[in-house]
Amino acid sequence: MNGFTPELLDRCISCGFCLPACPTYALTKDETSSPRGRITLMRALEEGTLPGNDLRLQEESSFCLGCRACETVCPAGVQYGALLEEWRDRQWQGTRRPLIVWLLMSAVNSPWRVRLLGLFRRHARTRPSPSGPHLMLGCFERALYPEVSRAARRLHPELAAPAAQGCCGALHAHNGDSARGRQMAAELGERLPGTIVTTSGGCAAHLADVLGRDRVKEISEYSTGEDLPETGARIALQDSCHLRNGLGVWREPRALLERMGEYVELPSAGSCCGAAGSYALVRPRDSARILDAKLDEIEAAGIDYLAVVNPGCHRQLEQGLRRRKSSVRVVHLAELAAGAVRPADR
Amino acid sequence: MKTVSRGEPMDATVLRELRAIVGADHVRHADGDVAAYARDATPLFSARPGAVVHPGSTEEVSAVLKLAGARSVPVVPRGAGSNLCAATVPLSGGIVLVLTRLDRILEISADELLAVCQPGVTTAELSGAVAAHGLLYAPDPGSRTVATIGGTIATCAGGLRGLKYGVTRNYVLGLQAVLATGEVVRTGGRLWKDVAGYDLTRLLTGSEGTLGVITEATVALTPAPEASGTGLAYFATLADAGRAVARIIGSGLLPATLEFLDARCIDAVESYARLGLRTDAGALLLFGDDGDASPVGRHLARMAELCLVEGALDATVAGAAAESEALLAARRCALPALSRLGSVTILEDASVPRPRIAEMVDRIDAIAGRHDLTIATFGHAGDGNLHPTCIVDAGDTDATERAHHAFGDIFRTAMELGGTITGEHGVGAAKLPYLTERLGAGQMALLRRIKAAFDPAGILNPGKLGS
Repeated sequence: MNGFTPELLDRCISCGFCLPACPTYALTKDETSSPRGRITLMRALEEGTLPGNDLRLQEESSFCLGCRACETVCPAGVQYGALLEEWRDRQWQGTRRPLIVWLLMSAVNSPWRVRLLGLFRRHARTRPSPSGPHLMLGCFERALYPEVSRAARRLHPELAAPAAQGCCGALHAHNGDSARGRQMAAELGERLPGTIVTTSGGCAAHLADVLGRDRVKEISEYSTGEDLPETGARIALQDSCHLRNGLGVWREPRALLERMGEYVELPSAGSCCGAAGSYALVRPRDSARILDAKLDEIEAAGIDYLAVVNPGCHRQLEQGLRRRKSSVRVVHLAELAAGAVRPADR
Repeated sequence: MKTVSRGEPMDATVLRELRAIVGADHVRHADGDVAAYARDATPLFSARPGAVVHPGSTEEVSAVLKLAGARSVPVVPRGAGSNLCAATVPLSGGIVLVLTRLDRILEISADELLAVCQPGVTTAELSGAVAAHGLLYAPDPGSRTVATIGGTIATCAGGLRGLKYGVTRNYVLGLQAVLATGEVVRTGGRLWKDVAGYDLTRLLTGSEGTLGVITEATVALTPAPEASGTGLAYFATLADAGRAVARIIGSGLLPATLEFLDARCIDAVESYARLGLRTDAGALLLFGDDGDASPVGRHLARMAELCLVEGALDATVAGAAAESEALLAARRCALPALSRLGSVTILEDASVPRPRIAEMVDRIDAIAGRHDLTIATFGHAGDGNLHPTCIVDAGDTDATERAHHAFGDIFRTAMELGGTITGEHGVGAAKLPYLTERLGAGQMALLRRIKAAFDPAGILNPGKLGS
């Protein structure tokens, strides 16, 4: 079993500047559920002063959303996301990995399984291109929101979108199998030569980590000069955590939305909605606690659309707002930009 | 250096009674549950408590202390754990009493210019809430976004506004505190003038959790200044910057902010904040003022001019408010940013009379050289408060040992120049070994007698002040 990379773990000086940025610390006000506290736990695991089967170690490695909001406020430059991957690599082995996560990982573990997910869905599909640029279809996004890839291609017809491309491996990387996660990203990079454009902020961050920042463009980074439809609507945004905190992309989607309607900045736009990849499925109650405050805010903002840039956030917010019978529609930014949302849909 | 890896397990009866007081959810005692409370923001100090308790009211705090007193269990009060003197490390095990659940602002009174809040509110939360009423809570420690009001009062935190506004003690009007016996006392109140009795409010302020547990604070506010601004000057050496500080203050100006960074700190801060700071300079002076817009502008221009007179390489006034805020935010991050140079940053807090700053900085450099160490220095030039920070690699025990010797030298030098061993971080466990040199045996004995009057059983934060 691999240990932690010493340089990553040593970087933290326990100043505590991360505490106010952490959604789970905000919920609990408990040091143990803060980034600094979790790093203290990782160190205890590394030094052997806590055993790997300690219940609290197990619980905290799962309770963390992995949103990486702590990284943006860390003056010491701690790469918390990388540490969390190493932590779960150690702790989420065998039966300790939640069953639902194991099932999801299995479902995307090979290109044919990913293809199967989208088999009867009308997602974009074209022949591969020898030099790109390519559109990444995603694994669950192609099944849950096939209209997003169609919108992306309407916006950018030059994007090739072959169905046989596989999954980027972010799910594996975040759930205890970072080696496989990196391998999957590398394989996807070989299948899709040239620039890879993605409609999923989470995938963008993982792919960029493995393939290099230059190879990967999230759709709002890629879309700059297009004619955009004026919707006349009030639109807010939910950032994708890894897109914002990992890649530093947050101005770009706002700039696009401002051109399409009256942009409304939600106070918590930059903080996690509780979807957090598979978190909403593994820890539905905690996920709902994180989401609730945000839903109040969205309902109070008097907006027509809530734009998202990641399928996990899409599903989380759509379900949350539906439960509240809200009239706010959750749409992917690409759908708005491609004019795929009809006024009657409002 | 004190390192204790495991605390004594807590007695099962005590745990049962603690659960009866605060509820089972708010008592934790398993190894993994208490591990994160073994340390605060101070490097090299670590000791696991036997239990961590999160009380939800003053009554619960009182009941916990009564129980602890009866069973002779040590109790260490803790806010967010951002202190830099190991004040909240439970050296003798026992209970870490975490006040973060008490996080409500109870009152903001614009008429009386005061706020009443619970100890777990952060400094930034309180500042933000009173700012919405056009008011200012002046204490401004670097850790403002993290540090709780309870913690900043218990350590009498300083910060970036010390020269013009003073420090935390100047803003505490009244406290509610629970003594080690479980007695709940209210000291001071809502009055600016009140000399009835010993000033127990001031005694509790800076007592580092050794005399009582603060459960509510009434703090003084001022009207928020209409405008504020900052400027930057670069110098070839820190000594030049020191002379500019003397000249600015000698000219009759009282800046709200007067902060400096040496070359190493400039590098580290720039690599985090990317503000375009000049990394070829030997020192940076950040000056600022607040008040009515017109005098603020005049004062800033005058400060820039005086820096140039003292040989500044460059001196400019920040244009927009956002730019000023970015500069101040970057300055607050100086310490953690320094950890980019090495994994352990041992920070000190010596303070000298303002005219001796340049001399002190030179002496620190000489001490660093003598002990073959990398020491970066930043601090509050206006207060004479320096933060020499020694950067060593984790596991380099030899360098750590040398650092301890170097800091001994630094403290003695500061005292020789008429200064002190800690300006604003506190004594805690980290500086207790040097306290006798600073206060003398007679005063140490007086501290112990005061401690005994508040805490006869000696259960509150043992091994710290008054022990």
